[in-house]
Amino acid sequence: MAEKKELYLGYSTDKAITPFYQEFLEALDQDKLMKSVCTQCSTEFLPPRQHCQKCLSECKLEEFTEREAKLHSFVIVEFAPESLSSKAPYVVAIGEFPSGRRLTAHITNLMSMPEVGMPLKLGFEHIDDKKLSYKWLV
Amino acid sequence: MARKVAVVAGGHSKFGKRYDATMRELCAEAYKPIYDEGITQDKIDASVLSYAASQFTGQGAGSALIADYIGLHEKPHLRVESACTTGTASLRAAWGMVAAGLYDVMLVLGVEQMNRVSSATATEYMSQAGDMRWEYPFGISFPAFYALMASKYMAEYNMSHDTLAQISVKSHHYGAQNPKAHLPKEVSFEEANNAVPICRPLNLYDCSLITDGAAAVVIAAEDRVKEFTDRPMWIRGIGAGASEMMIQDRPSLTSIPGAKRASKAAFEMAGLGPEDMNMVQVHDCFTIAELIAYEDIGIVEPGKGPEFVENKEMYHDGRMPVNIDGGLKSKGHPLGATGISMTYEIMKQMRGEAENQSRQIKDVKYGLAHNVGQSGQFVNVFIFERGF
Repeated sequence: MAEKKELYLGYSTDKAITPFYQEFLEALDQDKLMKSVCTQCSTEFLPPRQHCQKCLSECKLEEFTEREAKLHSFVIVEFAPESLSSKAPYVVAIGEFPSGRRLTAHITNLMSMPEVGMPLKLGFEHIDDKKLSYKWLV
Repeated sequence: MARKVAVVAGGHSKFGKRYDATMRELCAEAYKPIYDEGITQDKIDASVLSYAASQFTGQGAGSALIADYIGLHEKPHLRVESACTTGTASLRAAWGMVAAGLYDVMLVLGVEQMNRVSSATATEYMSQAGDMRWEYPFGISFPAFYALMASKYMAEYNMSHDTLAQISVKSHHYGAQNPKAHLPKEVSFEEANNAVPICRPLNLYDCSLITDGAAAVVIAAEDRVKEFTDRPMWIRGIGAGASEMMIQDRPSLTSIPGAKRASKAAFEMAGLGPEDMNMVQVHDCFTIAELIAYEDIGIVEPGKGPEFVENKEMYHDGRMPVNIDGGLKSKGHPLGATGISMTYEIMKQMRGEAENQSRQIKDVKYGLAHNVGQSGQFVNVFIFERGF
């Protein structure tokens, strides 16, 4: 059995990694964003949940393939929590896909002020050999 | 049938950077005026003694410490926690126990000691009230959640930051007249509009303060009220609401769904509407939160908040006085104390005892407290009625 690779989402150092979450992180390491789908009622979740919010049944991970989105809202964090203070300023955005699913991540390549409604593209980032993330690009 | 319950007394510490006190001393400061009114420990059946975040003090089992320090250690006590609604959640829990007949007289005390750590550390602790798996890794601080609401509101209703600055000017105007306030100073529109950014579009003067403080009230069952006061404040309506954990999952960012549900429930229980209120205390952890509160409570229609601000209708002599104690913005926001501080302010206003009479509202019969936890995951709305 292959040894579990130590991975973290974004700037998290959370070591409480479940097998389900590890599977999500390992897919992300391959530049794949996973949603979850309830095995009983087929409800979808992004970001994924191991248990369905509606019927509490187990969910399975499936690749989320939408890449284009619109900026639902944003914030430019100038005064950051202590753990991210060296990274400030940074932009946190909620993007909305055509399906209506939303995702919260950093926008990493802005050259001017963001505007609600502007187009975004989903991208992936390997911050270092353990930290990886999905991100928004303009 | 539930018994009627009234607030019969209140106490309030000075809010601020209280390096002269820790949690226990702040609690004593809040209970002392109540004790001095004759509501000594032997008259209190039980207490709810709460704070929101134990990270700030490192103290476990804090209600035991508080109960012991203020001499209530032989009476039952408990702590309730629900982020920034900890105060009104404590009041809601105590109301239930008194209304049901479990106890007749209860002390409800909220406290927070926040300034023994740096602002960056305090911001870190508060960011941990976001989803630790999906939000925290992106550094979404407490102000960042509300900045997401502000960006959306500004885009959807074509609002400029000027409106938010006007709210801040009002809050500081009244905070400057409140000796209990953390930052009792006037702020000009230019200062409020051009302050250093914290989480754009929100700047320093859009943000509430990291505050140390405590507030307390005593509630009593209807048949015991006269033993304590001839000026009771009845708890006429209580509504509680909740919203999605992750802010991205909310149907709207220009409203807090739980606040709408809580307001509706409170008005239904009271048999009253927003037009009946003579004053409201809203949870202005950020200026945008105050603006959204006007709309969620139903004081104005969605999108009409900026007009309400422009017309200064939220001043003490306006259509609906809002946060005439300075609010969380100027009075301060010691998380667990805030909901009780709102209750205390309404009681003082009803009694005509605003600490500085220049901010006394005329003839308050009904008052509303709107207390929001985190970015809306918890909301409590209380409607109080003057009983004299």
